[in-house]
Amino acid sequence: MKCRKCKAPAEIPLPSHNTAFCRDCFATYFTGQVEKAIRRHGLIMPGERVLVALSGGKDSLSLMLELSRLGYDVTGLHVDLGIPVSSPAARAKVQGFCDLHGLKLRVVELIKEGLPIPDVKKYINRPVCSACGKIKRHWFNRVALEDGFNVLATGHNLDDEVARLFANTLRWDAGYLSDQGPCLQAESGFARKIKPLYRLTEFETACYAFLNGIEIHNAPCPYSGGASFTGHKRLWADLEHQSPGSKISFYDGFLKRGRPAFALVEKDEGHALAPCETCASPTSTGMCGVCRLAIAVTERRAADPDRQ
Amino acid sequence: MITVFVEPENETFTFERHNTVLMLQKRLGLRVNDALVIRGDRLLTSDDRLVDGDEIRIRKVTSTG
Ligand code: SF4
Ligand SMILES: [Zn+2]
Ligand SMILES: [Zn+2]
Repeated sequence: MKCRKCKAPAEIPLPSHNTAFCRDCFATYFTGQVEKAIRRHGLIMPGERVLVALSGGKDSLSLMLELSRLGYDVTGLHVDLGIPVSSPAARAKVQGFCDLHGLKLRVVELIKEGLPIPDVKKYINRPVCSACGKIKRHWFNRVALEDGFNVLATGHNLDDEVARLFANTLRWDAGYLSDQGPCLQAESGFARKIKPLYRLTEFETACYAFLNGIEIHNAPCPYSGGASFTGHKRLWADLEHQSPGSKISFYDGFLKRGRPAFALVEKDEGHALAPCETCASPTSTGMCGVCRLAIAVTERRAADPDRQ
Repeated sequence: MITVFVEPENETFTFERHNTVLMLQKRLGLRVNDALVIRGDRLLTSDDRLVDGDEIRIRKVTSTG
């Protein structure tokens, strides 16, 4: 197979785009897709400081590297979940990556914050992944606010976005369908949230990570019981196989024609937000959900005879 | 004979008969963009030929988190 652009031997076949690239032309293509996303949706303005959520996976590390190469002022944020074995491994990958590339990194340790995920799992009666997601989002927001970052970037790729959009479409979740997209504007004390990799598939970010020698954390979290949306991702892989280009056209079509229609009908509920009385994160409930979780975990841990 | 290491399961297979990457992908039930096919520091495409003694790394791309 030959590169469509320069005729060198191809390494990356992309049937969705009816093309194949050598590694150099792929790098140009990848950068082009990120720049297009940023330009088209006004993701980052000149001079803005960007906080990048780093889990240690291929998507977040690829995003960080690419944004830094494009000259953006990026700082990584890793939340150390305090899970034995998997958290130290993930953190080491993130740390090693940032050291290697001379990138700024902040780490929030949930053990120090009194909320390690194993305790959340033990003491809180709700699915651990939903609490964990909430805690991670809380800290990304909080650090962005406290340290004056304008933008919070995550490594969601096209496959993630399509699977999520598809799930929400199956439920006709109008609230979600009215504002889902690669850019959620800053409001009431939240930084702008952006997804600069939304045009690139999981395969493409995996190729980018490999070609750039990024060491990936892929030891699974012991609590991940069957990943979210895996079934939908498989369906979409079938669809994409039969009809290359389906994913990006479904997603772009939604942004152009679906979302505006939902935004019209979905009236803003207008929950007034005020700073959390404990941590100052915006909330509609006096004390924010994560501070309430932290109190519940602390109380139950104190009352646990196994921990005396 | 070729040796194939599959991630993230970290399983190793050996195949006596081998021909092209496409055959290997078919054997493992993988389509073109399901996994990286790695030999040394290069990515292979479906039409690349496999040769005796090759050590191939298959890296499935679907993130599970
Ligand atoms: S799988 Fe693990 S890291 Fe992911 S949300 Fe669930 S508990 Fe958190
Ligand atoms: Zn080329
Ligand atoms: Zn709070």
